[in-house]
This record gives sequence, C-alpha cells and structure tokens, in this order.
Amino acid sequence: MSFSVMLTGVGGEGVLTTGVLLARAANLDNYYVRGVQLHGLAQRGGTIPTFVRFGKENEVYSPAIMQTDADLILAFEPLEAIRATYYASKKKTTFVINDSPYMPIYGNLMKLSYPTKKEVLKRISPFSRDVFMFKASEMGEKQFGKTLFGNIIILGFAVGHGLLPLSKEAIRKAIKATVPRSVDLNLKAFESGIKYGKGIEKIID
Amino acid sequence: MESEVLEKSGKTVVLLGNEAIARGAMEAGVGVVAAYPGTPSSEVPVTMAGIAKKIGFYFEYSSNEKVAFETAAGAAWSGVRALTTVKHFGLNVAADSVSPVAYVGVKGGFVIMVADDPNGWSSAQSEQDTRYYARMFKIPMFEPSNPQECLDFTKKCFDISEEFEMPVFLRTTTKVSHSIGSVKLGKIKSPNRRGHFEKSDRYYNLRPKLQEMHQAIDKKLDGICKKYSKVFNTIEAGKGNIGIIASGVSYGYAKELMHVLNLKVPLAKVGLSFPLSTEFISKFIKGKKEVLILEELESVLESEINAIAKNVNPKIIVHGKDILPNYGEYTLELLAPAFEKIFKKKLGINFKKQQKMVKKVDENLPPRKPVFCPGCPHRSTFYAVKQVYGDNAIYAGDVGCYVLGIFEPYKTIDFMISMGASLGLAHGISRVSAQDIVAFIGDSTFFHAGLPALANLKFNDGTSPLIVVLDNSVTAMTGHQPHPGTGRTGMGDITEKIKIEDVAKAMGAEVRVANAFNQKQLIETIKEMRKMKGLRVLVSRGECRLVTKRKFEKQGIPLPVFEIDPEKCVDCEKYANTFACPAITKVKDTKGGEPKYEIDPDLCLGCGVCMQVYPKGAIRVKKVNKK
Ligand SMILES: Cc1ncc(C[n+]2csc(CCOP(=O)(O)OP(=O)(O)O)c2C)c(N)n1
Ligand code: SF4
Repeated sequence: MSFSVMLTGVGGEGVLTTGVLLARAANLDNYYVRGVQLHGLAQRGGTIPTFVRFGKENEVYSPAIMQTDADLILAFEPLEAIRATYYASKKKTTFVINDSPYMPIYGNLMKLSYPTKKEVLKRISPFSRDVFMFKASEMGEKQFGKTLFGNIIILGFAVGHGLLPLSKEAIRKAIKATVPRSVDLNLKAFESGIKYGKGIEKIID
Repeated sequence: MESEVLEKSGKTVVLLGNEAIARGAMEAGVGVVAAYPGTPSSEVPVTMAGIAKKIGFYFEYSSNEKVAFETAAGAAWSGVRALTTVKHFGLNVAADSVSPVAYVGVKGGFVIMVADDPNGWSSAQSEQDTRYYARMFKIPMFEPSNPQECLDFTKKCFDISEEFEMPVFLRTTTKVSHSIGSVKLGKIKSPNRRGHFEKSDRYYNLRPKLQEMHQAIDKKLDGICKKYSKVFNTIEAGKGNIGIIASGVSYGYAKELMHVLNLKVPLAKVGLSFPLSTEFISKFIKGKKEVLILEELESVLESEINAIAKNVNPKIIVHGKDILPNYGEYTLELLAPAFEKIFKKKLGINFKKQQKMVKKVDENLPPRKPVFCPGCPHRSTFYAVKQVYGDNAIYAGDVGCYVLGIFEPYKTIDFMISMGASLGLAHGISRVSAQDIVAFIGDSTFFHAGLPALANLKFNDGTSPLIVVLDNSVTAMTGHQPHPGTGRTGMGDITEKIKIEDVAKAMGAEVRVANAFNQKQLIETIKEMRKMKGLRVLVSRGECRLVTKRKFEKQGIPLPVFEIDPEKCVDCEKYANTFACPAITKVKDTKGGEPKYEIDPDLCLGCGVCMQVYPKGAIRVKKVNKK
C-alpha cells in the first residue's frame, strides 16, 4: 500500500508546515516517506502545493504524485482545490477543503469573479469520490483566536473521518515537534477537528 | 517550523533534500561554509546559518558566489573541510575561479553543491544544465536521487575530495533539493575549524607546469572513476533485453513506474555522472536490444552512452531525447507513455483526456500569480516611479522580489537577465538611444554584481539611466538573508553596515535617499532626479514588510491596520487596480448593492502607502489589531 496526500493553498498560510507535520507523522508511524514541496519564491500569495507520500519502503519511490493519483487532497483554499484536480480522479480522490476564499488580486484586475461554493463543488465533482468543504478558518478563529488553526482542523477532520491512515498519536507527536510554540492550541484544534470528522460536533458550512 | 536536522544519530527523521545535505556536511565535520543564496539551493545555507555556532563551524553569507567559492577554497587549501552552495546561475558567477582551483587542487575536502532548476521554479532566467560544467572544468560530479542519498553522498564527497585532493560537485535539481523523505542519521563530527596554509609550488599554475597539472587532473578523474563508480553507480538486475539508465530524481520515477506497471527490467542508476564510467555502461548495455536513458534537461549522459555503445554494442537502440523533452521537468505522467510504448505495458490511465477535463474546470478562474506582499516597499517605489515616468520609459529590471514588477498593473520591469545586469544593459541602450531609462536593482544585488557596473557607468559617462536601488535591507526573494548592507552576518553577529549611498557617492554618483513608504518624498525626488544629468542613484529605502512583521511579532507589538471609508472612496476601483495591494479586496455587498472594497485586516501589514495613494480621507487607521 502507498498513500498519496496533496496539500495545497496560498503561500504564507501554513501549507508547507502542515505538509512537514504530516510527513513526520507518517515517519513516526514507521512508514517510508517521500514528498516534495513545490515553491520557489519568498513572497506571499502564490500557489504552493506539497506532496506527501508514504508506504512500505519498496512501494514509494517518486516524491511527486502522478497525475490523477492522489488519495487525499487537503486544500486550504477553494480555488486551489479546483486547481488540484490535475492530481485527482473520481476513482481515488477525496477532497477536504477549507472554505476560506482568498481572491487573487489578478481576479479583480481581470474582472473575473470568485466561484461560489456550489460552483466549486460542481467543478470538483468529476474528479472526486467525496468532497468535504467547510469553514475551517472561521472555526479556527472562533475557537482558538486565529484562522491559521483551520489547517489543523482540516487535518483533524481527515483523521476523524477515516480519510488519512495515520495514528492520532503520531500526529500529536508531530505537532509537538513541528509547531512547538503553540502546541496546546494546535493539539486542541486537532482534537476538535477529529470531533468534526466523526460527526460528534457540527461543522460550519 | 523546527527542523529535525540536529536529531540524534541512529534516528530516522523526515528531512528536506537540502537539509539532508546540511546534515551530511556536518557528519563530515565541515569547518567552513560560505554561500550566496539561490533557490533551489538556499535551504542548505539557511539550515547551516542557524546552527553554525552551536556545532562550531564557520558560516558566512558572502557578497556573491565567486567570493563564497573562493572563501571556501581558501579554507580547503588550509586543510579545513569546506562547502559552498550555489544555484545553477551562481556557478556562472563563481566559474572564473572554479577551473584554476580544480587544477591546483585542495587539501581539505571541498564540496561545491550546485542546484539546477529545470522548469524555472525560482527566478526563471534560463534552464541551464550545469552538468556541462563538470566536463568543462574536469571536476567529478555526484548526483543524489533522494534525501537519504543527499546525506550519504555529501558525506562521501568530502572524503573523496580529500583523498584525490580535488574539489567535487554535488549536483541536485529542484525536485531533489525540495523533496522530503525519511533519512537515517549518522553521527555529527566535531568540526575542525583551524587550518594552516602551507606555501607550495602546487599553487604555481603557470606554463609549462600547467600542462602537467592538466594531465594530473585527468589521472585523478580516472582514479575516482575506477574506485568509486561501483559505489555510486548500481545495477538492479531484471528480465528482458531492454534496460533503463536513470540519474537523479528520474531514478525515483523509474522505480515508481516499474512498481505500478509491474515491470522487472534491468535498471542502472548513475550517481557519479562525471566521469561516466565506460566500464559500468558497457557492462550494462552489452547484449541489450534497447536502452532508455532518463535524465532531465540536455542529453548529456545519452551522448556519452551513445559513444560508448559504438564500441561495445553498436546495434543497440538508445532512447532518450528522441521521445522525451530536453526542457522542463520530468513527471510520472510524462514518462508513463514512454514506458508503455517501450515495454509494451498498459497503465490504463488516459492522461490526455483528464488534462482536457482539467483545462475546462480551470477556465475563467482568477489566476494566482505571485504578487508583492501587502506592505511591500517595492510596490510603493514602482508606483511612484510610474507616476513620474509613465509608460514610455525603459524599465531595466534585475533579479529579486521586484521582478514581479513585470506583471500588470505595474509594468515597471521590461526585462530581467541576470544579477546586476540592469545597469550594464541600461548603459548599453543609453549609448545608442536617447530614450528615458530607469534601471532598478535590489540592495543584495547591488553588492553582488552592481558595483563593477556602477564603476563602468561613471567611467564611461553613463549619464542617461536613473538608477533606483530598491533597498529593502535584506535578500528577500531567497528567504531573507543578510548582505553587506544589513549590519548583520550570516551567523547573526553585528558588523558595520556598508551604506549604499556612501558607495555610490564614492563612485562619483549624485545620490538621494528616499523613504520607500513616503509617496510624496519619492515622487518629488524622482522628479528632481529625472532632470539631472550625470550618474545618479536614488536609494529607495524601506524594509521588506515580512521582516518588519516578524520583528513586530517578536516584540509583541501590533502593526497598524487600515480601513476604507466607503463614503469617501470615490473611484476606489481605479486605485485598487493600479496600486494592487492584495490586502484591499473586493467584497460582495450582502444587501445586494454594488460590490465594495475592503481592507482585509488579516492581510494588511500596515505600511500606510494606500492612505497616500487613494483619495484623501478614503483610508484611515483602524483599531490596533493583535497580530
Ligand atoms: C547568480 C545568481 N545568484 C543567485 C540568484 C538567486 N536570487 C534571485 S533574487 C536574489 C536576491 C535578490 O535580493 P535583492 O536584490 O536584495 O532583492 P529582493 O529580493 O530583496 O527584493 C537572489 C539571491 C540568482 N538568480 N542568480
Ligand atoms: S518578501 Fe519582502 S520584498 Fe519580497 S514581496 Fe514580500 S514584502 Fe516585498
């Protein structure tokens, strides 16, 4: 078995960190880990996907995910979820999307409008077996004071809903190792994400 | 994010390829690291800068790659293990010193890490293939394919360099440098930082000794090839008479595709790509009908393998660039059809059809191109220059965050060639054309390659271009490294700042310094300088806003945040579209009225320039926020 996760979003929003966190969790679960960060520039605001793949040593070799082949796409921004469809397919892929739209400046300049939630779901539907889209940033801000906790809520949701075959213990440890400055809040955000994933608590959609 | 690069020996952790290289160097006991940043190599120096003092090696950010190379070489001559890291173009800058150092050799192990960037993820410019340099300079080149090999190869490279007394290249590409993976750690060796330079005629690279040296290098290369080909090049046996030869990240793709296609064909991995062992290649291609070469960019290995095949297996069909591109990066989906064709297997995925579907869903989506951060001083400077010079002046660009000026709505960069090139190109144009020229150059770039060009402008009466130094007090684009103008070294020590205005004055330029966040001052100064004759330099000074943000965060002081008064914001759209700050966003009116512009408090970094640009009173300071 190998499992391929794509994380995507906008530069400066914690995609890279969450990707590393996930890779570390997979490593702690004794998987062999491969992945790659696709970025080049320091400025904020560009698209920055990260791939994380894990499995047995003789089953994962490529750091990049093959077109159509992602098992799980964690999208921290809806437009970027649509752009991730290149790596998705009806047969395989589940999307978990943070419904926190970030209109790129060029959208305004070119007079293009931001797709509605309905439209986002419609566009992604042919490329997915399942899509979950909710206001994780808003939930993060309401509960923990910062929209950035939306990322961990998304991750928790995926775990709680059984979409990500990694142990909670490994993820907790990886949180401690990766974001040591705000461990407590991140751990809480993770637990609350799990509850949303399990349907114990209601998400804001 | 905390790195795991200093974890204990014996542990398996997840590292970036570049972090693994840093770890490998520390396990080899590196004593001196000198570098100028450049994506995709930057995470090596970034990782090492932060821990140099803790581990005990010397680290510096040098003013450019040539100086960095020489710094490391000097240390290696004195018997200390040394590392320099460059991106592909960085090697062009260092190149002048590289070949002679290969001739005279080194004492301490000397590794030159060079990262190529097929696809141009970093600053574009070109898709140069650095493997040719190994051949031109006669320096061995090792190519890891994943993070574990990044660590292992780096470590071995130091030993080999020392054993053969010659510098070695460790070459990666973006997908190796930025790949993440499980890495088993070895022991960090306490670094030896003290050396001694011994005078010796080995450094006399003069005729006729030069020819002896030339021959000696060839001998060394032979020796390395004989001894180490079997260590770095491996053959995995398989069935059939069609084989694959791969190097770098392509090896990972080959293994992955073999796994998904259930192919058990012979596979050769090339980890020592120069000198390419004739013996190794001969052994692999003997008796084979076909071979597929997987290498990104140019057909470097392919040409050499073809030459070897002429002697040992002239009938073999060598595939490579006949079916695969010599541009961009390889991907699994790009390689899969080649595998299907050559090995007569079916993956059962219609990539083309899916690509078409994707193209359709992507239609009319607002594109997300990189933009200046909210609060970026470059946006403000460009805006002011545009107010004075309009659309018709020639805007000579350089390399840095400010290349984003190439896009709408600024259009204040007409071309971007290489670091420091704005000045030379502007000068060249001014020698033959009377057009108005503004040449932009960043502060780090000014020290990197701007100085000789400035001297030339003075020397040769470069009167036409207005030179604008975009001084954001940091090397921003590659991740906020210090430079000679910042007053801080790579190890974090305080050092005397070199002021750009002092340097420019010393070179005989008329100089003005303006606050990059003050539109009025900028515009007045630019107007004044436009009328001036002679060499003139405007230093537009304003700190990179991300640096400011971090400083404020560290001290727990909130940045100001601004808001729009919709009543007073007449023509808001016009300003939104010309000033183009991503924090100023268009939002739908919940009551169904016209969409409005708002400042997103999460994005605003409080530079206050919009307040000066928009109609009077349209923008005001909001409450203090807690960011
Ligand atoms: C020869 C060479 N070395 C390094 C780089 C990578 N690089 C691109 S931009 C840049 C930094 C530019 O800094 P600065 O001029 O201060 O502009 P800023 O990004 O801060 O706006 C570097 C190092 C390059 N493109 N070419
Ligand atoms: S990183 Fe700094 S210099 Fe670069 S775009 Fe952002 S604010 Fe401007």
